[in-house]
Amino acid sequence: MYRKKIFVFLAVVMLLSLILTACEPETIIETVVETVIETVEVEGETVEVIVEREVEVLKDKDILIYNSYASDPAPREADEEIVQMFMDKYPQYDVIHSTINHEDFKQAIRAYLTASAPPDVMTWFAGERARFFIDNGQIMDISDVWEGEGWVEDYPTGFKALSSVDGNQYFLPTSWYWWAVYYRVSVFEELGLEPPTTWDEFIEVCDTLKENGKIPITIGTKYRWTTGAWFDYLNMRINGPEFHIDLMLGKESYEDERVLAVFDAWRDLLENDYFIEDAAAYTWSEALEPFITGEAGMYLMGDFIRDSLPPEVTDDLDFFRFPIMDPAVPIGEDAPTDGYFIAANSQNPEAAKAFLAYLGSVEVQTYNAEKLGRLPTHTGVDRSMFNAAQQKGLALIDGADYVAQFYDRDTRPEVADMGMNVFMEFWDDPGNTARLAEMLAELDAYRMEVFGAE
Amino acid sequence: MVRLRRNFLPYLFLAIPIIIYLVWVIGPMFYTFYLSLTNWDGLSSPQFIGFRNYERLFTDRVFFLSLTNNMKWLASFVTVPVVLGLALAMILNRAVPGEKFFKMSFYMPMVLAMVVSGLIWGWLYHPRGGLINNVLVGLGIVEKGPGWLSDRALALWSIIIVAIWRQVGYVMVLYLAGLKSINPEFLEAAKIDGANDWQVFQKVLLPLLMPVSVIVLVISVIDSLRAFDLVSVMTRGGPANSSSVLANYMYIQAFNNYRMGYAASIAVILFLISLVFIFIYLWRVMQDELEY
Repeated sequence: MYRKKIFVFLAVVMLLSLILTACEPETIIETVVETVIETVEVEGETVEVIVEREVEVLKDKDILIYNSYASDPAPREADEEIVQMFMDKYPQYDVIHSTINHEDFKQAIRAYLTASAPPDVMTWFAGERARFFIDNGQIMDISDVWEGEGWVEDYPTGFKALSSVDGNQYFLPTSWYWWAVYYRVSVFEELGLEPPTTWDEFIEVCDTLKENGKIPITIGTKYRWTTGAWFDYLNMRINGPEFHIDLMLGKESYEDERVLAVFDAWRDLLENDYFIEDAAAYTWSEALEPFITGEAGMYLMGDFIRDSLPPEVTDDLDFFRFPIMDPAVPIGEDAPTDGYFIAANSQNPEAAKAFLAYLGSVEVQTYNAEKLGRLPTHTGVDRSMFNAAQQKGLALIDGADYVAQFYDRDTRPEVADMGMNVFMEFWDDPGNTARLAEMLAELDAYRMEVFGAE
Repeated sequence: MVRLRRNFLPYLFLAIPIIIYLVWVIGPMFYTFYLSLTNWDGLSSPQFIGFRNYERLFTDRVFFLSLTNNMKWLASFVTVPVVLGLALAMILNRAVPGEKFFKMSFYMPMVLAMVVSGLIWGWLYHPRGGLINNVLVGLGIVEKGPGWLSDRALALWSIIIVAIWRQVGYVMVLYLAGLKSINPEFLEAAKIDGANDWQVFQKVLLPLLMPVSVIVLVISVIDSLRAFDLVSVMTRGGPANSSSVLANYMYIQAFNNYRMGYAASIAVILFLISLVFIFIYLWRVMQDELEY
């Protein structure tokens, strides 16, 4: 009886050890030049000669852990393809690639970073969000990669500045996209509308759409961040990008009259019912549905909107710059930049740097631009391949005086969280100015606490 | 030697679960207490800040909103599903045609993962294309269906309805099991003594079902306190925190805002509230055990 149990136990152990050996790292055959001392007999004497010879050795592949938030179908496919291309090109590396849902990634990043063996390379947002980790010493200084790959010359100064702290580079910005008001060309044509450039024209467009039974603007605020775009743009158009960014950095007050002006303009839009009803019931992509069916005319969104639309709609899609409200105010645009970094306590910095160098190369950036239509940061990428929409997007950003990241990227996450709650409550009851004042006072107290401002 | 082994052996066997329990349950619990006294952001090392998180908590509007929502959830959970579940159990305990089918269909929601229920109901509640609004408009009851999950006054109740829909079948099964264990002779005796149906139910069944009722109540209370999945999937606490519950608020503070210390203090409060009910439950169970 006992013996039988022992046999079962042994069988399980053997099975487990078989499974475990199957998990051992892959190996490659590497040719190494080996120096050996050989004794040769020359004319009866024994002489020691140093001989170099090529030996084939079996070597474990260098393991590199790469966590990515490219979880939408198209970017994910491209991401996996790039990893494969890297491993084909550099067979000595074995990349363990995990794709994590975008929202979950944001929540898990601090756990990744503080792990004793963190993922070596990770995707992340440029700007304040990266800066926070850099200041905390969680991101590796990659100035040597910037220097070695010639990125210092090949990347525009704006992107270099975005990646640098105290003259050292920590981040690799690889792709960015613009924000704009997207519209359905067919809907506009049907109603004889022209893309507006000024605020008055924009209001007219909204009115015409509404009179014709269309939803002027669609938006899904279930995840709140879409409201951040409206705040960003209204604030930048009314008060200018400088005030906006100072507000984001905690240097200006949310109780400022200029902020109230933003909510006044917003209130006009809301009280005129220009936005889709029950916006809070939809995620940003669910709110695309009326846009796809042609019931809704416009959507203020980033260029990734294209990824989620069927081809017949993308052919009928165009965009215009968020209308100018005051011609005297410099133009600010949102153009969030994504990229990569290496964790400060990466277990394999050599491999990580090699991977990063590949990700920042013209080859990969060209691939991404072709495959996903992302705008590259490397000036070496041939810009002539871009289609009309991309050229228009480039022109949009070229024509801007200041480029911001996005509401929840430019300011600290906890302030952004409370800010977006204010937007949501305001959205629900825009007429309640007393409540708005109360909420802004609360938000401002919190801003001061978080930024330690006066 | 033999006696020693006999005394020692049970402890040896107990040691394994106790160690696991200490490491995975008790340890983290105390660690959470400690974290709630710090300003940990999940990244830098925690700094001790005394009771500042708690001071903040008592002036935090969203915290009180979430607490109130938890209480609304609790109040509806200890009433509606309990009454409905008991009623269903009473009906289905006798030979009704198709009783197996009914039992199964009422229990079915419980088998679904919370997240799945949340997603399905999210579609049912869809303001423009959802089944509920289409039916309401189709029958001419309303001209335009409400935004169930986007209206601040409706969002929480819309979620609670889903939770109740799920819970009823569970409570029903518990009561069915309780009813099966009651000796039919008691009921016969009552009938012979001239009691009507209502009197039998009130004077015989209900008292005999008391142990089940206690369990049902405690489960309902604990389920309502740990409500999270449905809220997270259906509204994420929105719009404007109107459907937020403590667990959800804690989650957002910890993983969205990276304020681990503050989130830990919410967890501690939630724990203390649960503790009250757990004590009531244990106290009752102990009392019962002493009686026998």
